[in-house]
Amino acid sequence: MKHPLTRRDFLKGTTSALLGASLAFGRDGQAAKKARVVLIRHRDVLDENSKVNADILQGMLDESVARLLDQPDGVKAFQTLVKPGETVGIKTNVWSFLPTPPELEDAIKRRLIDAGIAPDKIGLDDHTVRTNPLFVNATSLINVRPCRTHYLAGMSGCIKNYIMFGESQPFYHPDSCADLGSLFKLPQVQGKTRLNILCVLTPQFHGRGPHHFSRRYVWNYKGLIVGRDPVAVDAIGLELIKAKRREVLGKAQELPPVPKHIQLADTRHGIGTSDLNAIEFIKLGWDEDILI
Amino acid sequence: MRVSTRGRVLCGLSASLLAVLVHLAGGGAVGEFSAKIPKKIGAWTAIGEDRIYDRETLFDYMDGGAEVYLAFDYRDVWTRRYADPGGRELTLDIYDMGSSAEAFGIFSCDREDPPAGIGQDSEYGFGLLRFRQGRYYVAVTATFDDEAIGKVILELGREVVKHLGPPGPGPDMLAFLPAAGLRADRTSYFHSAINLNNRFFVSSENILQLERSTDCVFAEFEAGVQEPASLLLIRYPDEAKAGAARRSFLAGYAPEAGTDGLARTENGKWVFASLAGRFLAVVFESPTAEWASNLVSSLRLPKT
Repeated sequence: MKHPLTRRDFLKGTTSALLGASLAFGRDGQAAKKARVVLIRHRDVLDENSKVNADILQGMLDESVARLLDQPDGVKAFQTLVKPGETVGIKTNVWSFLPTPPELEDAIKRRLIDAGIAPDKIGLDDHTVRTNPLFVNATSLINVRPCRTHYLAGMSGCIKNYIMFGESQPFYHPDSCADLGSLFKLPQVQGKTRLNILCVLTPQFHGRGPHHFSRRYVWNYKGLIVGRDPVAVDAIGLELIKAKRREVLGKAQELPPVPKHIQLADTRHGIGTSDLNAIEFIKLGWDEDILI
Repeated sequence: MRVSTRGRVLCGLSASLLAVLVHLAGGGAVGEFSAKIPKKIGAWTAIGEDRIYDRETLFDYMDGGAEVYLAFDYRDVWTRRYADPGGRELTLDIYDMGSSAEAFGIFSCDREDPPAGIGQDSEYGFGLLRFRQGRYYVAVTATFDDEAIGKVILELGREVVKHLGPPGPGPDMLAFLPAAGLRADRTSYFHSAINLNNRFFVSSENILQLERSTDCVFAEFEAGVQEPASLLLIRYPDEAKAGAARRSFLAGYAPEAGTDGLARTENGKWVFASLAGRFLAVVFESPTAEWASNLVSSLRLPKT
């Protein structure tokens, strides 16, 4: 049978290889052919009470998307993503314990309007995207959510954020949510995602209790991870989660069980790249305790 | 409010009528909590409608965690939110797990904090109170943590436990474990691979062939070295399934093991898989092969 990932692979140090990753990712000279992912951080985007500074966050979004798309500023970058007259759905995440920050939703909406999208043609939704007319009629989607661990999927990132487009959520749960990547081939979704934003302002690296949430396992990382490729964005997010788990929980608990859906979104469903060697990883801004 | 496939929404009903309906629907007694549990704890007041989620609707309440509960004999959860004058919220969940053994199971899979002195087993830390009493497992969750909220949460827990009935026994398999070196407060009981992997990651695939019909105890033992050794004891429905699971485990985890089921792992420790009737015992992180063998020999397994 195919070699399963086991505890012993941690002892051998081969987990990264089994998950399609590499410790030396993003460092060779063929960056132009790679999936580009930008991590941007800012020391002051959160205050001492973790309140978001909306102006700084807007600047982070602008700078990161501009760098992602090689554009001079955020407005021009969004103008390459969407065109006037379009209907755009912002697929957010409303999980009560760690929702997408409203300041980030507002920053995205602002730039969509600047790019010529009519305010009444911008949808913002999570649980009712299947029936929301703005999502039913959307010609473009922006995918945004916080990064956190998950009992079943290992990690909830941009790939898993689309589960609400599925007719049945439990349908995607077997085998550690192995086939979440297929969500991106649903008619309502396929070919429409223009931008993926994994919010790592306050990522969650471990979960407890009935809702898999504990304040102790959330930290102020103060970053955003953005990319066109949801798999590449999640692959970088997983590296961050693993690094934090190594630091706090120890090497033996590096991997949340079992984030296979990220690799399978690449190898089985072909919606992006999970191979860190095939990702151009760009880091901007504050680099203290960057971990990855 | 009951959220179920039997009647998607029953709103505007009195708590007592709701309780009767819940009984008639075979969903257990959790609906009665709406009338029994105080709606005010200090400055905190119940908000919104109480809700009940059964096995089919639990997904509406939990994002991903539902399978962890459905892997047990979970019946219903009754849930209520409280808010303080500043708008901060906490959530009270009371889970009917079907039996006291199952309530022990869900409690035991997620222990990290000091005891809170509420119910049969409890712990509190960082805004999360968890305890079990009889067939019920209870969680009180706040998204923030300070001394004041800790007091409110513990007070709520002490009110709730009054309405949960008498204590009940834990799983019979706990009695099979040897007492020597056992870290009793780290012992977990469950059935499925999802619970095992959240407790102690073994494999990305279900190589031990765990399912609802298997009963598992995962226990840690002092092993004379810094890190404890671990024992996974599994009871399968029959000997054939236990034997097949051992073969599957050794093929996936320790293919170099001989017929004795022993293999030395990359960190110099030992893994050992041993059959006894319909029981499979697997020792992880054993300091020596002999230590693993002695641990398995000390199990007090029933003859059948």
